[in-house]
Amino acid sequence: MSADAVTTAHDLVVSGWAVSSPYGLGRDGFTAGLREGRRAVAALDSEQWPVPYEEAGLIPGFDIKAVLGRKGTRSMDRVTAIAATTVGMLLEEYGAGLAADPESTGLVLGTSGSVQSIMDFTRDALTGKAPYLVDPARFPNTVMNCPTGQSAIRHTLKGPNVTVSGGAATGLLALNYASRLLRGGHATALLAGAAEEFSVQRARLEQVADHGGSAAEPLGEGAALFLLESGAAARDSGRTVLATVLGCRFRAFRDTGRASAVLKSCVDEVLAAAGATADDIALIAPGTPPGVFGKEEAAALDGLAAPRLAVRPLIGDATAAGAAFQLAAVLAESAARPELVDRLALVTAVDRDGTVGAALLRLG
Amino acid sequence: MTTQIADLSTERKAEIKEIVCDILELELDEVTDISLFKEEHDADSLRTIEILASMERNFGLVLEQAELSRMVNLAGVYAVVAEAEGK
Amino acid sequence: MSGATGGTAPHTAPRHRVVITGLGVVTSIGTGVDAFADGLRAGRSGAKPIGAFDTTGFAYSNACEITDFDPEEWLRDMAADELGRAAQFAVAGSRMAVADAGLTEDDVRARRTLVSVGTTDGESRDLDHLIGLQVTEGEDRLDATVARRVWPGRLSAGIVRELGLEDVETVTVPTACAAGNYAVGSGYDAISSGDVEMALCGGADALCRKTFTGFYRLGTIAPDVCRPFDADRQGILTGEGAGILLMESLESALGRGARIYAEVLGYGLSCDASHPVAPDRDSIARCITAAHRNAGIEASDVDFISAHGTGTKANDVTEVGAIRQVFGDELPRTVSIKSMIGHTMGAASALAAAACSLALREGFIPPTINHRTTDPECAVDCVPNEAVEARLRVVQNNGLAFGGNNAVLMLGHWDENATETLPADATAAA
Repeated sequence: MSADAVTTAHDLVVSGWAVSSPYGLGRDGFTAGLREGRRAVAALDSEQWPVPYEEAGLIPGFDIKAVLGRKGTRSMDRVTAIAATTVGMLLEEYGAGLAADPESTGLVLGTSGSVQSIMDFTRDALTGKAPYLVDPARFPNTVMNCPTGQSAIRHTLKGPNVTVSGGAATGLLALNYASRLLRGGHATALLAGAAEEFSVQRARLEQVADHGGSAAEPLGEGAALFLLESGAAARDSGRTVLATVLGCRFRAFRDTGRASAVLKSCVDEVLAAAGATADDIALIAPGTPPGVFGKEEAAALDGLAAPRLAVRPLIGDATAAGAAFQLAAVLAESAARPELVDRLALVTAVDRDGTVGAALLRLG
Repeated sequence: MTTQIADLSTERKAEIKEIVCDILELELDEVTDISLFKEEHDADSLRTIEILASMERNFGLVLEQAELSRMVNLAGVYAVVAEAEGK
Repeated sequence: MSGATGGTAPHTAPRHRVVITGLGVVTSIGTGVDAFADGLRAGRSGAKPIGAFDTTGFAYSNACEITDFDPEEWLRDMAADELGRAAQFAVAGSRMAVADAGLTEDDVRARRTLVSVGTTDGESRDLDHLIGLQVTEGEDRLDATVARRVWPGRLSAGIVRELGLEDVETVTVPTACAAGNYAVGSGYDAISSGDVEMALCGGADALCRKTFTGFYRLGTIAPDVCRPFDADRQGILTGEGAGILLMESLESALGRGARIYAEVLGYGLSCDASHPVAPDRDSIARCITAAHRNAGIEASDVDFISAHGTGTKANDVTEVGAIRQVFGDELPRTVSIKSMIGHTMGAASALAAAACSLALREGFIPPTINHRTTDPECAVDCVPNEAVEARLRVVQNNGLAFGGNNAVLMLGHWDENATETLPADATAAA
């Protein structure tokens, strides 16, 4: 384990990851696509998706029953299936030993649930012969923790099961929440990350949202999940440390013009807390939001020389999953470039509702 | 309750069976008229409410929640539906 | 739980004790801490026919709706139509909590803060409205003003914007009907670890057609009132509101001479991982045990339990079974304030935590109203119908949710005259 020299037993580390993205299911396609700079946003079939968008970053050919089988999927919605699939991939590849202690293994998932499921349910209520003639099996889908709870059911994760939401910063908030649970002794290992679905209703709502004065950009979907545990736990289980989580910082702005200043404070603070300097940063995965939000983010990162990994222009605006994809991109890049070991990576987010976040990781 | 079963047509019974099997995520030949949803097919209370709700939605019926206690197998569902349709 | 060793802490800094010094509540039995406390003591009922949406076609349709809430009274920076009803409740609750703590908003701005708001439905009430427009006026019809405010992040971001906070971590926790306890638990960890100095944590939800319909379809809506633990209980009444707790470190509270409602002793989380809607006894018992361990207390220390207590057949039997599994035959008094304010979803365990804080401070146990005959299958002393005076030291607040999401919070009495009478914090206990 290359990071042993600098990773102490108490540090929280990422020791596995999985991704479902517009490049397909799995890390290989994601890594290859990003490294080639191949755009995964494609033209939408307007028959299937009557939305005010021409294109989107969809998981290619994602079919719930084909991926997860018939059992338990009859009433499952898309975001739940995406989450459960990605959790499954992570556990299959990295989960050795976790099943022996399901009560100490949990899931912290960033998602805002499925607006499609919520609106479909009420549509049935409004259009049926009686207002209660809805499908009870779909009621749980209308509650935002459904992807998290269902993933736990399918994969027997009996530890803390947490759903968090915070726009573009969601993935970082999930990472931070999970870190705090581990430090507080509430679990030994947590799967942390975020999931988002593409849907007609989400597209209609997003189209009129605040895009910082720019036009709405194509939407993306998918999930990225990370196995988070102490360095000691990773070592005991024979898992390689892929990154050490050095810290997360969050701030807020009321006036958009303050966004860059508060984000810069977050970056300065995570660096200071880690005893590092800007020169130690070798990789930056910014959120690259549209319009003025993107300009503010760029201004905050202006003094940092490290190369940028721009994920969103390639896979679309994955909203709740956006920052998780950025973190996944960092790990993908790190895996492909061994010289990044022991260097730092920075992930940033600026959300239109007035919040910013930064996460700092040491690679390898 | 067996007296009402005869009231349902073969087609209606087939429709009901298909709906029930779909909800239970089972093949048609796995469920008999008397095999018990809960004990033999692992159905929980949400599944039985789904079955009741599906009968209401598909056949335009109004069923009392109390009928759930009779809808323990296909024969029970047939009886409840036949009775409601007869009203 | 093998992880509960404290060994994962990357820093060796001592953990801080955490106290609740401000309460902000919006409920169907009263808005503001005094009205809420009066309502709890009096055993008031918020049940009434639903006015939030057209209930034609339902055989019955009572809920615990709030009918006297004026958002303009609480919003300064944002226009009322920029926030959905749940976020409006959350902002109002936060402003009340800050004032109740004897703080100004400038005081909060000057500290590193966590704002964490739990919810079940977010702004589903707005989504109901938007789909209603599509149904009646055409698929392409969109109310853009409403569409911009539907995302759940606004529940916490709305508070942050309204209070003008900048050095703040802002998170919405949509862990359904246990969300309030999750949010308060996250605030406890954030303050005790020294990550933040102050936290505004709780939950908010607004009555909506979607959720009423879902519970109605499941056969779990009571036709008249909610009767937890009663032999004739028929289910929940949906409710709405917000409960926001202002939490800070004990040093901070003592340093500024704040009134302390209660100490947060710790909390536990568990997941059933078995069924999306049916509760699981063993998993709930495991959650209670984890909370006791995290708080460093024994079951016998608990003076009363604020139950999840929805008043459905399944919940009350399963929950009391889980309590019995942990406590044996000596059950503490176990009450449900849902009998009064209905099931306020994501706000429920936050409002219950507020009620527990008031109970600890003022020395009473709120009643379970509408009670006639206790069900022998969930036999507890539910403090039927009338509040009782009681000297309390440790109180347990249960939150159980869809998805098998359980969260149990432990609160302790703060004795102003003796600063070292309480169990030590989680570090010592772990």
